Amino acid sequence: MKELKIWLLYTNNSFQQMLVSRPTVIIFLLGKFLRVALFLVFLGFLFNGTRSIGDYTREQIVFFFLSFNLIDTLAQLFFREVYRFRALIISGGLDFVLVKPLNPLIRVLLGGADVLDLFMLIILSTIITVFSLANLTVTMSGTLLYLLLIANSLLLAAAFHIFVLSLGVLTTSVDHLISIYRDMTSMLRIPVDLYTQPIRFLLTFILPLGIMITFPAKAFLGILNWEAIIYSYGFGLVAFYLSLLFWNFAIKKYSSASS
Amino acid sequence: MKKYFTVFLVSWQNEFVYRVNFILWRIRNLLRFSMIYFLWAGIFISNRNVFGYNQPQMLTYVFMVFLMGTLILSAPSSDNIGGEIGNGDISNYLVKPVGYLKYWFIRDIASKSLNILFAIVELFLVWLVLKPQLIIPSSPQIIFGFVTAVLIATCLYYLLSCLVRFIAFWTPENTWGLSFLLLVFVETLAGGIFPLNILPSWIYTFLQFTPFPYLVYFPIAIFTEKIAGWELIRILLQSTGWLVLIFWMTKYTWKRGLVVYQAYGR
Repeated sequence: MKELKIWLLYTNNSFQQMLVSRPTVIIFLLGKFLRVALFLVFLGFLFNGTRSIGDYTREQIVFFFLSFNLIDTLAQLFFREVYRFRALIISGGLDFVLVKPLNPLIRVLLGGADVLDLFMLIILSTIITVFSLANLTVTMSGTLLYLLLIANSLLLAAAFHIFVLSLGVLTTSVDHLISIYRDMTSMLRIPVDLYTQPIRFLLTFILPLGIMITFPAKAFLGILNWEAIIYSYGFGLVAFYLSLLFWNFAIKKYSSASS
Repeated sequence: MKKYFTVFLVSWQNEFVYRVNFILWRIRNLLRFSMIYFLWAGIFISNRNVFGYNQPQMLTYVFMVFLMGTLILSAPSSDNIGGEIGNGDISNYLVKPVGYLKYWFIRDIASKSLNILFAIVELFLVWLVLKPQLIIPSSPQIIFGFVTAVLIATCLYYLLSCLVRFIAFWTPENTWGLSFLLLVFVETLAGGIFPLNILPSWIYTFLQFTPFPYLVYFPIAIFTEKIAGWELIRILLQSTGWLVLIFWMTKYTWKRGLVVYQAYGR
């Protein structure tokens, strides 16, 4: 309970800081919205020139893209503080986090929730709901599985971010690592099946990004079997556990540089 | 000139200080390339011709996007100028006998030259593995047009980037918002994800009235011989026009900005 209260306090402070400059909030939101809209326009033109992309229809591809944005936004909403971790590491500022009576991982992972992504989350959820009802067959079981697998995606995203933080402690390199994560997830704006081998194998089995981004949308569309659902949950739990082990290992190597 | 050459050399050395970071930067660039390459390779599995592009033409486009991104869009100045104005660090430059715009341009050039050297090696290795069929222009006119377009694009992106960040002279807290907006426009409207001529002709024409297609799409369109003859000359003239306009706007904003600059944070 104490952790939840402190997280709410961090989130409240972070939201207030970001809302100080209203024009920036509006410009950022506009930019984020434009990015989604322009890619949707591109997908629209792509379908005008081709009969199909892989085995997917236009509506299914759009749903995959919207789901990618939803999961990406959720991860950024909760784990934005990771993007600021390098400054804490190279300045020795992490010392002040470590001496506090709170698990340091909560502060460095969840300490800076992004209010802009909360706004985007609301916008995207609305778009996905309206789009699905108008263009896809919506079932109760599909929707439930979609939400449950998105929760698993968040668990996997947490594992990725904890790995990045741990590597950051060991190498002081966070910026490019987190950018690599962002670049790789953005490969899944389209279904993983559309990539040729070996990229498809890499994205599904070596790095579980395919599980994280593509599986929830597949479950919603009713094209994911039960084995894959169980496998994805197993992968999520194991990845999260391993990331915690790695964090515990890395934090013991922290050298308190510059402090 | 000697002092700027020293800046160039120091910038090169700086790039190698954090070696893990440098390696990760290279991996990141290769991943970006893979993303676009395998996306189009996947599309061509079920289609022989997409938007008038066959597979070699499109894969050449993808290779060139990687090179253009490396050369034109890589710019450390983008990450620093707004912050330096906002926290007052720019004062350190104003008292030195260096031009601030020239200083950051040289630093950008140092980063770009290093980036392009590695990118050429990486692309060659990728080509050895994947062996895609690529189109290489042979006409001197096309090569001259391409080199000119690339030089213009490099300067144009630098000036655009500075112009947006100079807003920090008036509202330091809003710089990131505008920079993000520029990034989104460049990312989607410059031609980095798809060739712009696949868009309906009215959008394609409209985009020519913005500076974005001159950054990536037109240099590649010249290289892949999608643009030649009088159209090539017209595009080069249009891009020069944009360069002159943005140069003038940047210089004007810089001068006006210095008038209101009060060295906050110092």
